[in-house]
Amino acid sequence: MTIATTSGAQGGALERSGGGGNGGTLADVVETVLDKGVVIDAQVSVAVVGIQLLEINARVVIASVETYLRFAEAVDRLSITPKNQKGLPDLVGDTAGAATKGKAISGLGKAAQEISGAVADSLGDRGPDRERERPRRRRDEER
Amino acid sequence: MTTQEAEPSGATGLFIYGIVPSDVEPTPDAEGVGDPAGEVTAVRHGDLAALVSEVGLEEPMGRPADLTAYQTLLDGTAAVAPVLPVRFGTVVTGQDAVAELLEAHHDRFAAALDEFEDRLQYTVHGRFDEEEMISDFLTENSAAAALAEQVRGRQEAETREKRIRLGEMISQGVELRREAENRALIEALTPYAVAHAPRPPSSELDAMNVAFLVATDDEEDFVRAVEDFAEQRRGLVRMRLLGPLAPYDFVSAHQLVA
Repeated sequence: MTIATTSGAQGGALERSGGGGNGGTLADVVETVLDKGVVIDAQVSVAVVGIQLLEINARVVIASVETYLRFAEAVDRLSITPKNQKGLPDLVGDTAGAATKGKAISGLGKAAQEISGAVADSLGDRGPDRERERPRRRRDEER
Repeated sequence: MTTQEAEPSGATGLFIYGIVPSDVEPTPDAEGVGDPAGEVTAVRHGDLAALVSEVGLEEPMGRPADLTAYQTLLDGTAAVAPVLPVRFGTVVTGQDAVAELLEAHHDRFAAALDEFEDRLQYTVHGRFDEEEMISDFLTENSAAAALAEQVRGRQEAETREKRIRLGEMISQGVELRREAENRALIEALTPYAVAHAPRPPSSELDAMNVAFLVATDDEEDFVRAVEDFAEQRRGLVRMRLLGPLAPYDFVSAHQLVA
């Protein structure tokens, strides 16, 4: 099942697994490796003892009634909140806008701007953060 | 796939992992398939070598540890030298058979290895968050939203027909979205990749699944572009980057058909 998207120490939206099954799951290995690679078949004049291919149905994805019913069931689990209802950032943005536009009592307007600024900052933090050092695999760490 | 009943030379054969330039030397700690893990050696012929290890012919192959050993060896090799993965499970009678194979396809293998010089594979896989995906879909599709209202909270038995119809609409929505996401991904990453190969979806919630061949000089830019792409879909798609890998998706089976 799908869980929250945040993963990785940096809080980046991208999850990374190195090569060699490093940090990956068996499913990753199977998906990456199976049915791939150069095939040496009998027409080559080489004694091929055997090519044991594993039958894996995992990658055959056929939409079926079961799938449809599962999706419908997922609809039951959705929160009833309509999608177009405004979230917190929108509301705060509006507040700040109103205060600035109205040139209300300057102290208050400033406070509101500061609040919205803080929200914007925290949202910005979630954006791609290029300054931050990403863990990079070093080549010589290969096993 | 044809399996020849070859006369076993003793009770062992050589498991072939991949083909590399002849100057590649397996490190002593490289572990092969089998239990205990086989010792990986190189069988050389001309400019080429094959990475192999001895396996018992009676030994069952394809345990999780075997697959992992195979991938670990190939990915580790790809990090330092070009490598052509040979399909998992390929076992030949002995060194002569390996040499014969390298001889028969020498130029073709050598040319393919040239292409993979300083290039690595990355696989980008994304999976929709089911809830986000469906609620997005219902927001955009009023007919489906109306149907959703009719089935929500009601017994499956009494709304089965409607549920199937709704589920089918969602399924088609996911499919369209998947096509669009795959296109967008390829478009976003094409500037940083030498080639791409679409992979079949691995689940009905797959958002994207594409292998990219990336020049080592472009790796950082490529990874950054994937990160940006993932960031734009935060919450909707759980994105994963696998690699660097050996170029599994860029050696095609027909390469050997004369």
